[in-house]
Amino acid sequence: MNMQCEQFEQLLEQQDDGALPKPALAHLETCEACRALSADFGAIHKMALELDNEGIAPPERVWISLRNQLEAERIIHGPQADPQSASHASLGWWSVFQRPAIAGAFLGLVLAAASTVSYMSNFSQTAVQSQLAFRQETSPVPAADSVFKEEVLTVGSDSIPGLQRQDIAVTASIQRNLQIVDNFIMICEKSVREQPDNQMAREYLYGAYQQKAELLATAMNRSMPGGLQ
Amino acid sequence: MNATSTLVRVSALGAVMAGFILAASPARADRIEKHFPVQNKPKITVRNSSGRIQVKAWTKNEVQVAWTNKSGKAVVETEAAGNRVEVATRANEDDVSADDSKTDFEITVPVESELSVRTDSGNVTVDSVHGDMTFDTVGANLQLSDVDGYMVVKTIDGSLVCNRCSGKLEANSISGNVQMISPTLDSVRVQTSSGNILFDGSFLSRGIYIMKNFSGTIEVHFSSSDSFDVNASSLKGDVINQATFKPDTHGSPHPASKWGHSLFGTMNEGHAKVELSSFSGTIKILKRD
Repeated sequence: MNMQCEQFEQLLEQQDDGALPKPALAHLETCEACRALSADFGAIHKMALELDNEGIAPPERVWISLRNQLEAERIIHGPQADPQSASHASLGWWSVFQRPAIAGAFLGLVLAAASTVSYMSNFSQTAVQSQLAFRQETSPVPAADSVFKEEVLTVGSDSIPGLQRQDIAVTASIQRNLQIVDNFIMICEKSVREQPDNQMAREYLYGAYQQKAELLATAMNRSMPGGLQ
Repeated sequence: MNATSTLVRVSALGAVMAGFILAASPARADRIEKHFPVQNKPKITVRNSSGRIQVKAWTKNEVQVAWTNKSGKAVVETEAAGNRVEVATRANEDDVSADDSKTDFEITVPVESELSVRTDSGNVTVDSVHGDMTFDTVGANLQLSDVDGYMVVKTIDGSLVCNRCSGKLEANSISGNVQMISPTLDSVRVQTSSGNILFDGSFLSRGIYIMKNFSGTIEVHFSSSDSFDVNASSLKGDVINQATFKPDTHGSPHPASKWGHSLFGTMNEGHAKVELSSFSGTIKILKRD
């Protein structure tokens, strides 16, 4: 029996390490979306290992905050049967961010970046940034962050059955505020680079990263089917 | 053809045209109203995507929910169980635009009520409700008047105006402004990135007031009888102060920071604690009248 995208994603989420089983590999050969998903998972996994190897441990409060945020936003919950699995493939990368584990992983990336940047004295090229940059250069599939910006924050003209069309004003608001936060991150990074022992600048930088993570969580949450429920 | 027959034909044509126009028009926006009997301190949850939400208090033990959706393309689902009343808007067909899903609410609740409101856009006003409240909005502006309780506000670029609010306030925004006018709040934690913060009221004894932003203005007004410790710091901006502070004798000493502008001090006995922090914005501590 051929493996479906949904089954593959579930398998990928449950897979700690090691090679994928043969049916999954066979599915990868025929499904571009799942290949991209698998590549992103691999990159996240690799980055997590490298962060661990570097001995950079984000403070406990980061994880507590992340967990609380994801639970509050109902991004973390048990696996659910997807009644629209038949149309899943047609949603393409959009659907990737509706998977709780991937949404969580993406937010984890942002917060990991926050803690990394907060705790590394030299962060002109952070491990996270270099990892992402490396992956973008070498991977034939789109990177998670670029997909997020293109698909989640773009008002699509395509109508997706069963979904309320995204509110242009809301999307514009999220985009505008994302730019504001990105700008703050840039300014804070510059300040910390120039004044590495400036604790206040570091705190603001960390706060800006956290704000970005929360904003992305809000954007995903507002974009999900039944997001207002 | 005589004048009478011409008149009859014109009238008939007019009637047919009017019929077509009426048939082509969307259904008239009907106001729908529901009543839910409750006992003391109900919890009311409202989920809406866009539209105005007005919440008022009355003395009846009843929650009244009235709504209008002009397009007729959104439906409002209500659920009531004991003291829990939930109201949610959803599209009743595929691909409904934001305009069509816009639904305005007028909700009347007992004075002692808990509220939870989530909406994307459209203004939210709450008058004279006493109880804990949470608000989660994207661009919706929020106006709270004469409310009392523990209020938690999360918005992206909506503004918050709090008139005569009592209790505790936690507000987080990215680009929204926050104004607290004549508050009697004993706990304030307000953070906005590019928005401005205004606190125009008294600092209560034992109160803790933390206001933080990135680039906007933080303005607090004090009177000479207020009693508070202040810690104000702006990394790239100015701290403008009209108060005469004594050196802070409470807690640990505050070494002068080599970065930015800072101010530490105590007014009167320092019964309240005020922390003001900005990255590049201006902090103003101004005398009221």
